[in-house]
Amino acid sequence: MTELSERRRERRARQVAPRQLAAQISYTQPRHELLDTNGIRRLHDAAMRVLREFGVDFYDEECRAIFADHGALVKGETVFLDEELVMRAVARAPRQFTQLARNPAHHVVIGADKVTFAPVYGPPFVQDLDGVRRDATLADFQNFVKLAYLSPWMHHSGGTVVEPMDEPVATRHLDMVLSHILYSDKAFMGSVTSGPNAADSVTMAEIVFGAAAIREHPALISLINVSSPRRYDDRMLAALKVYARARQGLLITPFILTGAMGPASIAGSLAQLIAEALAGIALVQLIEPGCPVIFGSFLSTMDLQSGALTMGTPEAQLGLYCAAQMARHYGLPFRSGGAFSSAKLPDAQAGYESALSMLPTLQAGTHFVLHAAGWLDNGLAAGYAKFMLDCELLGMLHTWVKGVDLSDEALAFDAMAEVPPGGHYLGTGHTMRHFRDAFYRAELFDYTSSEQWELNGAQDSYARASAKARQLLASYEPPPLDPAIAANLHAFVAERKAAIAREPRDF
Amino acid sequence: MSLKELSDDDLWLQMQDDLYDGQKDEVVEETKEALARGHTPQQVLSEGLVAGMDIVGADFRDGILFVPEVLMSANAMKAGMEILRPLLVETGAPRIGKMVIGTVKGDIHDIGKNLVAMMMEGAGFEVINLGVNNDAQKFIDAIREHQPEIIGMSALLTTTMPYMKVVIQALKDEGLRDDVYVMVGGAPVTESFGQAVGADAYARDAAVAVEMAKAYMARRRGEGVAA
Ligand code: B1M
Repeated sequence: MTELSERRRERRARQVAPRQLAAQISYTQPRHELLDTNGIRRLHDAAMRVLREFGVDFYDEECRAIFADHGALVKGETVFLDEELVMRAVARAPRQFTQLARNPAHHVVIGADKVTFAPVYGPPFVQDLDGVRRDATLADFQNFVKLAYLSPWMHHSGGTVVEPMDEPVATRHLDMVLSHILYSDKAFMGSVTSGPNAADSVTMAEIVFGAAAIREHPALISLINVSSPRRYDDRMLAALKVYARARQGLLITPFILTGAMGPASIAGSLAQLIAEALAGIALVQLIEPGCPVIFGSFLSTMDLQSGALTMGTPEAQLGLYCAAQMARHYGLPFRSGGAFSSAKLPDAQAGYESALSMLPTLQAGTHFVLHAAGWLDNGLAAGYAKFMLDCELLGMLHTWVKGVDLSDEALAFDAMAEVPPGGHYLGTGHTMRHFRDAFYRAELFDYTSSEQWELNGAQDSYARASAKARQLLASYEPPPLDPAIAANLHAFVAERKAAIAREPRDF
Repeated sequence: MSLKELSDDDLWLQMQDDLYDGQKDEVVEETKEALARGHTPQQVLSEGLVAGMDIVGADFRDGILFVPEVLMSANAMKAGMEILRPLLVETGAPRIGKMVIGTVKGDIHDIGKNLVAMMMEGAGFEVINLGVNNDAQKFIDAIREHQPEIIGMSALLTTTMPYMKVVIQALKDEGLRDDVYVMVGGAPVTESFGQAVGADAYARDAAVAVEMAKAYMARRRGEGVAA
């Protein structure tokens, strides 16, 4: 009797125990490739032509001088690059690298056959747990960091998971980086809003990991957007220089709304995108050879009827496959995709668009997936329930990516031998060995009969996801942090806030 | 049939059609022809250009015309307006209006701002597009140089939105605030934010921006504010 209740307790415990972070998934399936060798050559040649004939603007004198020193032609703010220079610089970039996390079990490999999922980035609004759209706050920021920390399917803590609008613009970056460190032990991103903010991010990473350690393996990856078409702005370049010199990871991403910021065709936009990304990657490598970089692609479409931004459209996915293939061609880790949607709440549109974005993201072999959960309203809002539902999709994709196991155990002859024609497999030895984890079990999707569903309160997935988020946040406990490190961080943040308060500024 | 052979009514219709099709050169010719026939600049404006752009606006709203088509129409409108504008001034006709527009310091998101500029030109406004990343001084210099009735600021970053207030304060400091109608916009900007920074208007999209600008100009004329 005691023994039985013991076992029962054990099973119950297994049921409620939070799931451990799933290992980073490895691609075993063939990549979905749309380009043959001729296609790759055509896009590459077109990109080289863009760099040579049209050039890219760099709103930073020092960056232009660096290019000029290496033989590039600079006219005004425009840098014209030839293939030799660009490709020689790009070849210095590592094919893969490891980003440090506070918990060594959460280090992430960026590149190779690995996928890293990171939360939504940038939204100034949230769709909160009551379904209300409102300004995002630092509390929301911390909540999303907590939810990402608690999700077994999220490998990374991300960056500006939401914009904390209740904090002063000048010091927000400190609160954001600090929150990533305090509330999670997963890897995170640095601030790119100015050079000094980037430097603060680096200092905080040094406090946590040590200055020498982060030069060996980056502790930060930071998002440098190209202001397409063909323009790098002064803030991004200031941040890029700081991070490159500190050998921190850089995520160089042209963001093209095809039709407005690039030609109204996928091929033309891709040529421009490749040119823009390679120009930035080359710059990083000229500043700091071997600095970890990721080739980013954010290619979406514009509704040329209304002028509205559209996400999760089929053309964007076609572009994604090709961009991924080109990054592979250049031997660079690749970022793209995300659970994109233009929907304002986690409705059917959101589900379709997000699924239609995420599957190609993985089919293409993407290494770093920013915006993997929480994205709503074209990136203007982060949704709590949407975050939970997207994590469910990520869980499924963990299984999906693995492909099919063809081992003897998986072929299960012993089970077939046990079951006569017309029998069933529910009790075979093989089933008994595997029933717990044979299939992905979604927590937020409903598989009950309609009567049972009614009895359970007739909730839709949106309601279930909100309830789950509430429950997780209520049960959250922070990961341990060395008190000495915490004290140093708090002291640094306080000191910087005081210093920033004394600086002259516009607002 | 050459232009000269058209009746007046057909000339107006032809102008409207060519505006609709974004035929800039044709619109210019028709504008000149209408003036040559002795129509007042005001008449050419309302019977030809504005009537034509009203149709363009309606069909854009109804999902018939696409943005690139509206851009072509707006360019044709702008070309016609360049001929009419000095004549309208001479005849003392009420001004349609002039707008200075740009994204604020630190912000390079410019597609939305460009759409607004395009639609304003389509409505006959003269638009001085300052491009991206403008500090308060640039707005002030542009106001002094171009004497606009309307100042438009666009921002898409919550980190740059507060700068709108800096510009508005600078306008006050320079004694320019009361001369201009300050309009703000951009995806994260809201009505209440616009009020908080002391703007006169917030527009959620380009079409609304045009409507508000037109309504303001009408009020400004009606109220007899010096133009
Ligand atoms: C004067 O009166 C008026 C009246 C009406 C006005 C008006 C003025 N201005 C606009 N309107 C209105 O009329 C227009 C037409 O109807 C509308 O204009 P919109 O501009 O809203 O609409 C356009 C037609 C289409 N919309 C857009 O063009 C903007 C789309 C989103 C996705 C976007 C884009 C494309 C870009 N971005 Co950026 N970007 C986002 C945007 C998210 C979003 N959904 O808005 C947003 C705004 N960006 C963001 C961020 C974070 C950033 N971006 C950055 C860069 C870029 C690109 C350069 C890559 C690119 C812009 C390229 C370009 N040439 O413009 C960086 C900053 C660059 C800088 N210094 O400004 C960077 C900081 C990212 C980084 N880490 O590198 C987020 C802002 C978050 C915040 N904290 O406020 C963001 C919400 C996306 C996100 N989730 O990250 C109305 O708003």
